[in-house]
Amino acid sequence: MNLGISALNYVNAIKNNEFTVEEFIFESLEHINHVDEKLHAFLRINDSAIKNAKEIDAKIKSNQNVGRCYGMPISIKDNICIEGSKTTCASKVLENFISPYTSTVISKLHSEDAIIIGKTNLDEFAMGISTEFSAYGPSKNPWNNDYVPGGSSGGSGVSVAANECIASLGSDTGGSIRNPASFCSVVGLKPTYGLVSRYGLVSYANSIEQIGPMTKTVEDSAFLLNIISGIDPNDNTTIDNKNQDYLNNIDAGVSGKKIGIVTEMTNSDGLSTDVLDANNDAIKTFEKLGANCEQVSLQMVPYTVAAYYTITSTEAGSNLARYDNVRYGYEFDSSGFEFNSYISQARSKLGPEVIRRMILGGFVPSAGHAGKYFLKALKVKSKLITEIKHVFEKFDFLISPTVPIQPFKFGEKINDPVSLMMIDFNTVTANLTGIPAISVPYKITNGLPIGIQIMANHLGEHSLLQAAYALEKTVDLPEVSI
Amino acid sequence: MKSLVNEEEISEVAKLMKIDLEDHSAHIKRVQKMLEYFDILDKANVESEEITVQEIELDKLRNDKHIPFGKNLLKFLKSYQGKYVKAPKLN
Repeated sequence: MNLGISALNYVNAIKNNEFTVEEFIFESLEHINHVDEKLHAFLRINDSAIKNAKEIDAKIKSNQNVGRCYGMPISIKDNICIEGSKTTCASKVLENFISPYTSTVISKLHSEDAIIIGKTNLDEFAMGISTEFSAYGPSKNPWNNDYVPGGSSGGSGVSVAANECIASLGSDTGGSIRNPASFCSVVGLKPTYGLVSRYGLVSYANSIEQIGPMTKTVEDSAFLLNIISGIDPNDNTTIDNKNQDYLNNIDAGVSGKKIGIVTEMTNSDGLSTDVLDANNDAIKTFEKLGANCEQVSLQMVPYTVAAYYTITSTEAGSNLARYDNVRYGYEFDSSGFEFNSYISQARSKLGPEVIRRMILGGFVPSAGHAGKYFLKALKVKSKLITEIKHVFEKFDFLISPTVPIQPFKFGEKINDPVSLMMIDFNTVTANLTGIPAISVPYKITNGLPIGIQIMANHLGEHSLLQAAYALEKTVDLPEVSI
Repeated sequence: MKSLVNEEEISEVAKLMKIDLEDHSAHIKRVQKMLEYFDILDKANVESEEITVQEIELDKLRNDKHIPFGKNLLKFLKSYQGKYVKAPKLN
């Protein structure tokens, strides 16, 4: 059985009775059993997966209505809630937290008969780009186990790349879907802010983060976006997309489209020559497909990483205040404790990166410092939004490498906070401006993947997926050997 | 302008955030490095920029009506009495 098939091919195979849902889920679980000790993509496996598969097989057999997913195994980043099961955010603070309700994206997947195969690893509270900050140990890059898989949705990226599931949902605050997609050679889409409900996503920096699909193909991302997008009364920031079909005309091509090559993202200090070569290659490919590519400058880009970390730390400082040992993370009785020291005890269970971002988040918006940091960051964000609006009056898409470098070795960057931040250089613009962006696997160089990022205007997912599909169809990448 | 942030100042904020670690010198150094990097914001030349905020029109918000959650959330807490949550004493 080919566990590496795409979501669309899986659905066809089930419809043609090539195998049963139970057979596929059983094989997937066996495979996970076999490889995940090494890869550590998963924090937990769904014990009811086989039972769920049998139920869907029974529906198929008796000709009942079956949801669009036909029992396909999907993994979920462990910061998205499913009622009655653990959501740890890869933190010791939430080690025993059981979600009291189900997130909207999971309800939608359940109603389409997807099987949630397990919850995947991440950097603690989604703060990081390598999974090295997971309290439960890092995930390994399936292309080379000595290298990081990217993050924070690293477990999701690995689970899809290593064929442990068909697709995954991650969350993207500053590149957390696109970065591991690029590092693991899978497709990762960060939708327009508001296109996908965040109800049931554990908040980190809620003014900019989004849930999105990580898949083997661009079509699969469109397929999943069809399911998870749309307005939700439980999330007031959601947008009514009128049930747009993102798969429709996905092969429309890019002929006549104008693509802006973001100058600041293609001449930055930390950009590797191999990555730049791949990006130049992709530009040539787009031109061959009939698009017009030209340089475009976004002058705020050099300041976006600082603005991003200032804004997200501030929101994190506020969002993580709830981990106080009373509402979450209860370990010991409060009697005999003084208020502050009790809460400090709870916070001492947070990992080092989360602690640092909370300290930052207390500092940058504080009286006396807000003018220098937080307010300036918001002004950079405003100016960047203006720049993006102008750019999309002229261009259909923007292109850049997803990440300025290829995957790096474990431990290589963990002690250098500034070089860790710079890895987000090309991805944070889409978050700060709310526009959609996708990472498309493009090349394998020195045995490690390189992804290309395409961005489109607000709610431009339909054409963005068409461009990504056009690029994807020009490449023939090797299979990862596990 | 060089950042003037010192260890003492950051320690004070950590205390206000109720983060009280046995040894936080390593954290402080890293936070300092990050803040030093944030000095780049001074070069962005955005002083005159207006801050735009996301606005949602009032009629687009859900009705101001109590919707019962339908689940006894208190039972998810491990320390409560009746309908009260038990928390440490405020001095």
